[in-house]
Order: sequence, then structure tokens, then C-alpha cells
Amino acid sequence: MEEFSIKTKQKDNISILDLEGYLDAHTSVELEKCFEKIISENKFKIIVNFEKLSYISSAGLGVFMAFIETARSNAGDIKLCAMSDKIYNIFDMLGFPILFEIYKEEKAAVEKFN
Amino acid sequence: MDKTNKILFKSSTKNLYLLRKFIEDKAKTFGFDESSVNQIILSVDEACTNIIKHAHMYNDKEIIEVELDTNENQFIIKLNYKGKAFDPNNISNPDMKEYFNKFKIGGLGVPIMKKFMNKIEFLHLNPDKNSLTLIKNL
Repeated sequence: MEEFSIKTKQKDNISILDLEGYLDAHTSVELEKCFEKIISENKFKIIVNFEKLSYISSAGLGVFMAFIETARSNAGDIKLCAMSDKIYNIFDMLGFPILFEIYKEEKAAVEKFN
Repeated sequence: MDKTNKILFKSSTKNLYLLRKFIEDKAKTFGFDESSVNQIILSVDEACTNIIKHAHMYNDKEIIEVELDTNENQFIIKLNYKGKAFDPNNISNPDMKEYFNKFKIGGLGVPIMKKFMNKIEFLHLNPDKNSLTLIKNL
């Protein structure tokens, strides 16, 4: 089976999620649970690092849509970073940069929060 | 293209990776570049996810038959399945400005398929037999 994993780390008050592998309708459930946990801990400043993500389908995109409103209404945000061209093209084609801030590097996303 | 042009898989999101691998190998062999291969894989993933979710309601006892055919310059993927009929051609692309303003979720599989494939055909053969065909030109 193709794998998907999430590593979470905390940088001051920012939760950073490193995604790895393949994010589809099956594995997106794991990402959803991860967001639910972070939000339930009242952490609303979230960065998602896509550097090691190889694949995303619309089920994965749906997870970010599901939590962005809650994050922003609690003075937080979900900022995305380090996407390969392949992944960015999917986000861009559907117009996601209208709603989401997407950075080339994690450092830039962290600085934006600070 | 080798002779294995048809696979059956249980209608479960667990099996999407198998489907993607099957399509990837065949699309590469046919001669598509990497970008087109990725577009085909994603479109078929989206189509099958919709079938698993909406036609089969996550019942993994159901089966999806994936049949590949090619001609000189077309790569043709036919998905045969039982259950509720659903023609992607009857679905309008969402207004993405409104989509983001209202923080909508879902409904992006069909726009992806329409964007990446050259043609989509749907045939509802009888109450229990549907055929969704995705065509990509070389």
C-alpha cells in the first residue's frame, strides 16, 4: 500500500504538519483527525508543509476547506508551504490561492504568523 | 501496451492506490509525458472515488471494472459499475469565488476530470449497469 504519514511539531504557538506520501480519499481521514485534534487543543495557527507529499486528490483539498473557517475565526490560519509544482498546479487550477496563503518555504509561512 | 487491459477491484478507497498504479503503468507505456500521466491518474482516482462514495455508498462488496482501450492517439478508460447513475456531464463547474466565500467542501472531482480529460461519456445501460468513459488524447 502507498503510504501517508503526518509528523506534527510545535514552533512557539504554531502547529506545523509535515505531510508525506499519498493523500487521497482513503488517507485524508487521517489528516482530518489530525486537524480535529489540533483544533480541539485550541491551536489555530497551523502550517502544512507539503515538501514530502507526492500526491493529492480533491479529498485532500476538502480537509483544508473543512478547517480554514474555524482557524480564521479564532485568530489563526492554515498556511500552506513547500509544494512541488505537481501539487501546486492542482491547488492553482482550482483557484485555492484565492483563499489560502501558499509559501515556497516553511520559514516564510512562520514569519508571516509572527 | 501489454495484454492486461482490464482489472476488477473492490469498491473501497483502500484500493485507490492499486488503481492509480495500474493506470500509471498503462499511460506511461502508451507514451504520455509525466504531466499527462499525472492528470489521467488523478481523473480516474476522482471518478472512482465518486463511484465508491455515491453509487456504492462505501459498500466494498461492490465491484468496479476498469477497462482500458487505445487507438492511434487516444487512451480510453472505461469504468463499469452497478448502482446509482451519475453523469458528470450534467454537473456544472462550481463558481469558485462563491465556493471559497462560503467555505464549501467537496464537489471538485468532476471539475478536475473535465479539466484534465478530453472527453467524458456516461452510459446508463440498465438500472444496474453504468459505464463512465474518460478519454485522453495523446
